[in-house]
Amino acid sequence: MQLQTTSQLINYAVELEDKSAKFYEDLAEKFEEYKETFLSFVKENKKNKILIYRTYNEVVTDAFETGFSLEGFNTDEYIFEGTVAEDASLSDMVHRALETEQIIQRFYLSTAEKSKSFLADISQVFERIAKKRGEGKEKLKSLL
Amino acid sequence: MAILEEPIKKVEVLRNYINGEWIESKGELHDIINPATYKTIAKVPFSTKEEVNEAVEKAKEVYPEWRKTTPLARVRCLFRLKELLEENFEEISRIQTVEHGKTIDESRGETRRGIENVEVASGIPSLMMGYNLEDIATGIDEYLIRQPLGVFSCIAPFNFPFMIPLWFAPYAVATGNCIIIKPSSRCPVTQAKVVELVDEAGFPPGVWNIVHGSGAEISSLLMEHPAIKGVTFVGSTNVAKKIYRKCGEFGKRVIAQGGAKNFMLVMPDADLKKTIPALMTSFFGNAGQRCLAGANVIVMGKDDAFYKRFVEAFLKAASRIKVGYGLDDAIQMGPLQSKRAKERVLGFIEKGIDEGARIILDGRKVKITGDYPETCFLNPTVFEDVTVDMTIAKEEIFGPVANIMRAKDFDEAIRIIHTSHYGNAASIFTSNGKYAREFQYRVKCGNIGINIGIAAPMAFFPFGGMKDSFFGILHGQGRESIRFFTESKVVIQRWW
Repeated sequence: MQLQTTSQLINYAVELEDKSAKFYEDLAEKFEEYKETFLSFVKENKKNKILIYRTYNEVVTDAFETGFSLEGFNTDEYIFEGTVAEDASLSDMVHRALETEQIIQRFYLSTAEKSKSFLADISQVFERIAKKRGEGKEKLKSLL
Repeated sequence: MAILEEPIKKVEVLRNYINGEWIESKGELHDIINPATYKTIAKVPFSTKEEVNEAVEKAKEVYPEWRKTTPLARVRCLFRLKELLEENFEEISRIQTVEHGKTIDESRGETRRGIENVEVASGIPSLMMGYNLEDIATGIDEYLIRQPLGVFSCIAPFNFPFMIPLWFAPYAVATGNCIIIKPSSRCPVTQAKVVELVDEAGFPPGVWNIVHGSGAEISSLLMEHPAIKGVTFVGSTNVAKKIYRKCGEFGKRVIAQGGAKNFMLVMPDADLKKTIPALMTSFFGNAGQRCLAGANVIVMGKDDAFYKRFVEAFLKAASRIKVGYGLDDAIQMGPLQSKRAKERVLGFIEKGIDEGARIILDGRKVKITGDYPETCFLNPTVFEDVTVDMTIAKEEIFGPVANIMRAKDFDEAIRIIHTSHYGNAASIFTSNGKYAREFQYRVKCGNIGINIGIAAPMAFFPFGGMKDSFFGILHGQGRESIRFFTESKVVIQRWW
């Protein structure tokens, strides 16, 4: 699906946060030993969601140019597998989590770049989240 | 495609809110239609003369107490209102979309801008301060204090049903006045929701009132009532002139904002990649129904290649705009607010063709995303070869129609802009600071955009307007609003 409006963009970012939060919740349930680590990702996802909504609601104007300028946002590029198989090993799942983080980080960075001149505040927030996602990858790698 | 949930579940009859009570009007009821679905969403009464008078009399009774309430206590009501508006942000925004037709992003933007006025007015303890000077003569001091006047009224338009009453009401009540709002009879539901929150915020009864009804009748009653000290109006130039005249006759203060025909000047050095989206928002945002909307775009210079490149890019962007129901978050442009509004725009398009303008994008061929009746919908229309003498170049269309014109040089462009009797807004798109400054210096418009498509002043700046776009002296919003809603009293003091 092509994203064309600010509202769609925000909703999609939130959808990614929700989906990844659910993935980490499932991981926390399955790998009891690392529960705390995975739940810290869930907490981050929820914080990101609040941050995204808050930024949008605080800067939204009826004269948004984004509604007429978003190009090249295809959600097909950011699909990730968010399920946890019953027989999956920790290593498999951490690799999947790393891929997920990579995809989501790419979404934020690409969106931040493309929306810089039209949605400066949202672009900055997306950059911040992308950075946090990058740090999260390091945390995941430590589980391998 | 995600369609958001409808905010209005059943058709209700709106009531007046007078002296802190919800009062059923005895007036005739009129349907409020969702322009996208063409279904009735509410019924609005056309209040009677007695009901209007009652609202004014009650507000007049309450005023002395409210005036004595400390500015701090007054703004605490506004703080609570601000919180309630935030809590109800999404519902308020969706109501605007269903009663007006604008997209959800546009509605949320309007909600934000309205709330910003509540925030600014919450600074009244500082903003309302006067000033003083010791020793204007030996042993004598002089100071100025600002005092409220009494009861004000706000006659609101349909195009920004949430924001425009908030350009005025928060400042009026924060400075110690009472207010009577007459929402647009076409889009009254949003203000009905706002006043529910006003009630919850704990304003004393009679400070903030709403009377629904016909613009012409209620405006006259309010302007003629001796207890009304001032009137704010936003609408067409024709009506603004009448309001201004009548307010003069009856000795009222007035802010009367009229229509517009805004020019966008594109210089050959403009960054087209960034200019085109700004122009799309300007011409087609809110389906062209805003007084800051772009109407005529002037492409400057004799460079045919640049002109061709501009027209192609403009056309490509305009033809790709997704039209449909504003509650669908993929939609970029909603319907016109009413069937009559659409017919009016269609009339202008016909006129444009008859007078020789070349239609290069015909919005009459309606293409809607989703299954909705075409009744109020139009797609963007673009005309080329438009000249200043054509009706479409002169008159306010208030719809998604863009006229492309050419000017051989900067002076000619300014001359073209000044052929308009309106002076609401104008923008220049350029990378040349000298031209930008010249534009700002010479153009007779109240709101100037430099690489900005919608030059909408923030709540802490006045909303400008010149020539036939504004009648009055002080403007709405910010410090000018505070001066409008207060008298300046000068005291000269000496003690023996």
